[in-house]
Amino acid sequence: MPDSTPERHRPHDLPLCQLPAGGIGRVMNLQGDAAFCQRVREMGFGEKALVTKVSGNSTILCQVNGCRIALSHQAASQILVEQVTGRLR
Amino acid sequence: MSSKLPSHIAPAATPGTPSRQPVYALVGNPNCGKSTLFNALTGLKQKVGNYPGVTVERKVGTAYTQHGHPLTLIDLPGTYSLAARSPDEAVTRDVLLGRRADTAMPDRIVCIVDATNLERNLYLVHQILDLGRPVILVLNMMDLARAAGLDIRVARLEKELGIPVIACEASKGTGIIDLKLAMSRPELPLSRHAWTVPAAIATAVSELQASLQDNDKKPPLIARAEALLLLTDQDSVRVAGSTPLSARTEEILRGWEKRWETEGTDWAGVLVNARYDAIGELTAEVVHTAGDLAAGPSASDRIDSVATHPVWGWVVLGSIMAVMFLSIFTFAGVPMGWIEGLMATVSGWVSALLPEGELHDLIIDGGLAGIEGVIIFLPQILILFLFIGLLESTGYMARAAFIMDRLMSKVGLNGRSFIPLLSSYACAIPGIMAARTIEQPKDRLVTILVAPFMSCSARLPVYLLLIAAIMPTDEVPIGTKVGLMLLMYALGTFGAFGFAWLFKKTLLRGAPPLMIMELPPYRLPRLRDVFMQMVERGGLFIKRAGTVIFALSVVLWFLASYPKVPDDQNDTDALAHSYAGRAGHVIEPAIAPLGFDWRIGIGLVQSLAAREVFNSAMSVIFAVEETGDEDADTGHLRDAIRAAERPDGTPLFTPLICLNLMIFYVFSMQCISTLAVVKRETNGWKWPLFQLGYMTGFAWLVCLGVYQVGTALGF
Repeated sequence: MPDSTPERHRPHDLPLCQLPAGGIGRVMNLQGDAAFCQRVREMGFGEKALVTKVSGNSTILCQVNGCRIALSHQAASQILVEQVTGRLR
Repeated sequence: MSSKLPSHIAPAATPGTPSRQPVYALVGNPNCGKSTLFNALTGLKQKVGNYPGVTVERKVGTAYTQHGHPLTLIDLPGTYSLAARSPDEAVTRDVLLGRRADTAMPDRIVCIVDATNLERNLYLVHQILDLGRPVILVLNMMDLARAAGLDIRVARLEKELGIPVIACEASKGTGIIDLKLAMSRPELPLSRHAWTVPAAIATAVSELQASLQDNDKKPPLIARAEALLLLTDQDSVRVAGSTPLSARTEEILRGWEKRWETEGTDWAGVLVNARYDAIGELTAEVVHTAGDLAAGPSASDRIDSVATHPVWGWVVLGSIMAVMFLSIFTFAGVPMGWIEGLMATVSGWVSALLPEGELHDLIIDGGLAGIEGVIIFLPQILILFLFIGLLESTGYMARAAFIMDRLMSKVGLNGRSFIPLLSSYACAIPGIMAARTIEQPKDRLVTILVAPFMSCSARLPVYLLLIAAIMPTDEVPIGTKVGLMLLMYALGTFGAFGFAWLFKKTLLRGAPPLMIMELPPYRLPRLRDVFMQMVERGGLFIKRAGTVIFALSVVLWFLASYPKVPDDQNDTDALAHSYAGRAGHVIEPAIAPLGFDWRIGIGLVQSLAAREVFNSAMSVIFAVEETGDEDADTGHLRDAIRAAERPDGTPLFTPLICLNLMIFYVFSMQCISTLAVVKRETNGWKWPLFQLGYMTGFAWLVCLGVYQVGTALGF
């Protein structure tokens, strides 16, 4: 399956679960198996999409395309984002 | 591409042709108001059933054009994409691609989207436009979109897509007439929306399309749509579903995949992102945001700050559950009395019509009594469905799953298993049917396997009787009795979670489920829809009671009544002499180590019809005269079983035996109706038999331990 390509790994990208609450991130890379990548892309977490993290540590609540999505911690840890703006802890 | 439809695949029947009633399919994302629109279009002219072979609900209704011509409307399961992941979604894909022999390929497709979230909703529409069928696009919840500061230019969208676009507020009924007008049009334009398949995969799409046309005999546009799906979802077996790919197509696909893997091209990602890019361009033209969207939290956000709070969220969920269970166990009492009265009247009529004899007994004591034993729970089940419907239509159910996910993930399940397990407290049958929404087959199976551990309402009368037998006097504080009852519920719940964990670790090992779930905005419930859904689900339950359960009851009646004994012997001897009585004797060696004798064995055998039949079996065995007063009868039965003795004169129902019997009822699989449903849901006897074996085996082991340790300690 076409997993993440090495050149797209960037050191300052962080998993969505580590984005501070209220922060906005741009999806840079999806990890995990093909089925997972397909599903999250189709739910709007495609590369370049802007995600606002609303809350959550164990289960993550975020907003993408004006729509609230809940993700398990495991799922959120496989979505790497570049922090665009937002409060820092 | 330009999806100009070639004339040779024009719809077989359109509203103008009288040959066949035109078929419309209604498609959309979950939570976009699809059911509300379906109800608004069809009213009460709906038929609910199952798609043969898969246990997905099939809803078909009749709507009428502006000129009064009937048309068939199929409500397809909600999905985010045609690249299906669950059995429900596969049905949507297969019906739209014309793969299902039992359902005609729709002539026209009505796509409904949530206007407040156009971009994500248009993804599915975009895939559907590729099919080259006439499509009507319904923008639902326009009022909410306006309130959110979104200005959607409907005329512009119509121009860009080239198909009718109807603004609508299905819950208020606005836009329905416009939609019916569009559906009544004899000709519908085909979409002229063009999007560019990324260059990296365009050649592959053409090759696959050609092969699908030539080798798999697919019509051209369907072939193109299937080629795109094969590249979106990398599990080609899943995409192909019941129509496996030809060797040539498979070969082409594998060839391209290999090549892309070497090049490092993420073809699926490229394709999905290209669609989103095309949609992004479209929405940029069509949607204008009036005002500042980020101006403060919405009402939903404010509710969510409590409802999904790590602490308050549990308090809210706990309170809602408490209210629900209190309602189930208190408000249901009155209508349950009515059902008893009604069944007594029906029995009376039948009794008057039929002469005394075998047929009379068969119908009255076998069939009707068996049906009563099940439909007596209808009020409880309707109340449960009412609550589930309210929680779903307000949007809270997704939050409950979100909160429960933290707990469920500890045993390897995700939040979606919550609703099936919750429903199982009323009855495992609707619970097991609710597991259909779980995407991963293994998670769905684990949920089905453990759902019957949740103490259903049929166990309640048994618990009540046995608790009364342990603590007969009023001197025992009520809290102790309630505590014992809650202990039984807790044991079942822990059993379910424990076995779910075990199965996920061993037999059904799989990657930890990754929950991704949309939390729709809170809405006021549409009472009409909730009510219709409640009646619909209740209807399915009654239908089953009238067929499968009637047949099972007759069989069990036969076992409990034959062979006959001479008339001078009493009922107790007759039951002891019957096949069920003999079965009690036969299983006695197996249950003796648990402290149960053959008389309890008869109760266990008869519980196969429904667990609460244990009580009536005990009434017959210990010859309790029924007075018609339920409390008095329970009291008499309690006294009778307390007085029951073993042949050596020691009491049969000691507190330890009563406790052990309750534990047996918590864990063992005793309900034939549940097994029948599991067989249907898993398409075979393997899993129901496994479930019967492991649950009953576990119950036996636990009870053996409790009894042996209990007697050793002198209880």
